[in-house]
Amino acid sequence: MPGNSTRNRIQIFAFFIGVFLLCVLLYVGGVAAIVVTAAILAYILNPVVTAIEVRGLSRGASTALVLLLITLGAILFWYTVIPIAIEQWRSMQSGSATTATSIAIARLESTLRENFGFLGLGNVNVTEEFQKLKGGFVERIPNFLMEESISLLLGLVMTPFVMFFILKDGLSFKKYFISLVPNRYFEFTMDLMYKMGVQLGNYLRGQILDALVFGALATLALWILGVPYFVFIGIFAGLANLIPFVGPIVGAFAGLIAVVLEKGDIVRGAYVLFAFGILKIVDDLIVQPWAVGKSVQLHPMVVAIAIVVGGHLFGVLGMLLAVPIAGFLKVVLEESIETYRRYRFD
Amino acid sequence: MTTPWVRLFGVKKEKDSDELPILELLSHIPIFEGLNRRELIAIERILHRREYLQGETIFRQGEPGMGMYIVQEGRVAIVSEREEQQLFEMDKGHFFGEVALLDEGSRSATAIARTNCSVFGFFKPDLFELIDRDPRLGLKVVLRLARHIGIRLRQADEWVLALTTELEKLKRAESTEKP
Repeated sequence: MPGNSTRNRIQIFAFFIGVFLLCVLLYVGGVAAIVVTAAILAYILNPVVTAIEVRGLSRGASTALVLLLITLGAILFWYTVIPIAIEQWRSMQSGSATTATSIAIARLESTLRENFGFLGLGNVNVTEEFQKLKGGFVERIPNFLMEESISLLLGLVMTPFVMFFILKDGLSFKKYFISLVPNRYFEFTMDLMYKMGVQLGNYLRGQILDALVFGALATLALWILGVPYFVFIGIFAGLANLIPFVGPIVGAFAGLIAVVLEKGDIVRGAYVLFAFGILKIVDDLIVQPWAVGKSVQLHPMVVAIAIVVGGHLFGVLGMLLAVPIAGFLKVVLEESIETYRRYRFD
Repeated sequence: MTTPWVRLFGVKKEKDSDELPILELLSHIPIFEGLNRRELIAIERILHRREYLQGETIFRQGEPGMGMYIVQEGRVAIVSEREEQQLFEMDKGHFFGEVALLDEGSRSATAIARTNCSVFGFFKPDLFELIDRDPRLGLKVVLRLARHIGIRLRQADEWVLALTTELEKLKRAESTEKP
């Protein structure tokens, strides 16, 4: 019937405009990053909540229990890891580890002068540059924390809050969303959402698993090499590994800086870089194919652009979320085209 | 009035005015037969209510099928596009498209709203979700679904047998008529 088909088209147009306006509103309101983070966390935690629910607890109680366990974990982290981090930051500020460091820097300076003098590096004063860099870095941390504390606090409170409701009422939200889709595209939307959900769930859980394995391997390697703060740097490297290209390099350099600054050992620094190189190869050849599989393969150029755009829009969090979001958009696009072909729309 | 805490943990659910008819409707569907009230409420929560105008297509032959529909109000025609003929007409309490809950194939016929109608959809993703969250209830539904499809298969077998016998009879009659 032509009347019905026109009505459906108007409805689908209105639906997409609505979704677009909602996204704009979330972005303008500054809660887009919170909602996306909460949604991703909810996605990862959903199987845990469901596993508890199967044992007889209501959905709300299961979600509350998971959130309680996470809160306890966060409190434990706050009381164990944070004081050590503060202590290390203080020692960095006071410069207690400078003897070994200055020897290493002096060695680096002489190497530069002897071997790379022809490049104009003969007169470079690494010690001064290093002090400037370190001073700037140390000064910037409290400033950053002060400026960002309100939004950080808001994020820390809002994210679990939003996540709780996505976990608890996700099914109702989905049902409501589907109820807005016009009749003709309703089964298609269900089909699409289901396939996307499966793909996205596998992808996100795979990424987290990869980060965990990479973090554990990096921690082990750093421990063997006697790198200070190996647990921190290992965790950091695992998290950073979520950002392709940039992540592993940043992780490796964190290890390198720790060894060179604390121990003044450039040779061991080279070992750290070498270990990270091997870890990356192991990650690419064994861990990633096993954990992430071939669910979402993104073109390197797309990944690079996504990271830059994510970083530009939401900072470091944007860079972390860029690849999962790009993966999500790719799944949406591919599944939409594939599923659309199977339906006989006029 | 529900307090925020009640809303938060879903301790008590306010009764919808039309809750009972839906549960009653469901209790007469073979796939949900014999389920208790709590189980029927759990099923009702995952159903999708849709309204169709007269002449509107519910699904089309050849498209992927996502699940079954239960007619709450109005009439729905099941039409074969190949033979261009109406196969069945469904009204209140009837259901169709249940095979799509089990197989990955496409719809074997088209469903069109003959009058303005309202239907409840019960779909594969929701059935899978139910199996994950409440395996006991999920298994009950799947078992009833299998039983229902088994009955339909048996009926189809009987029809095929009856038609084959009829065809044989006609063939024999034709051969005896010929000199």
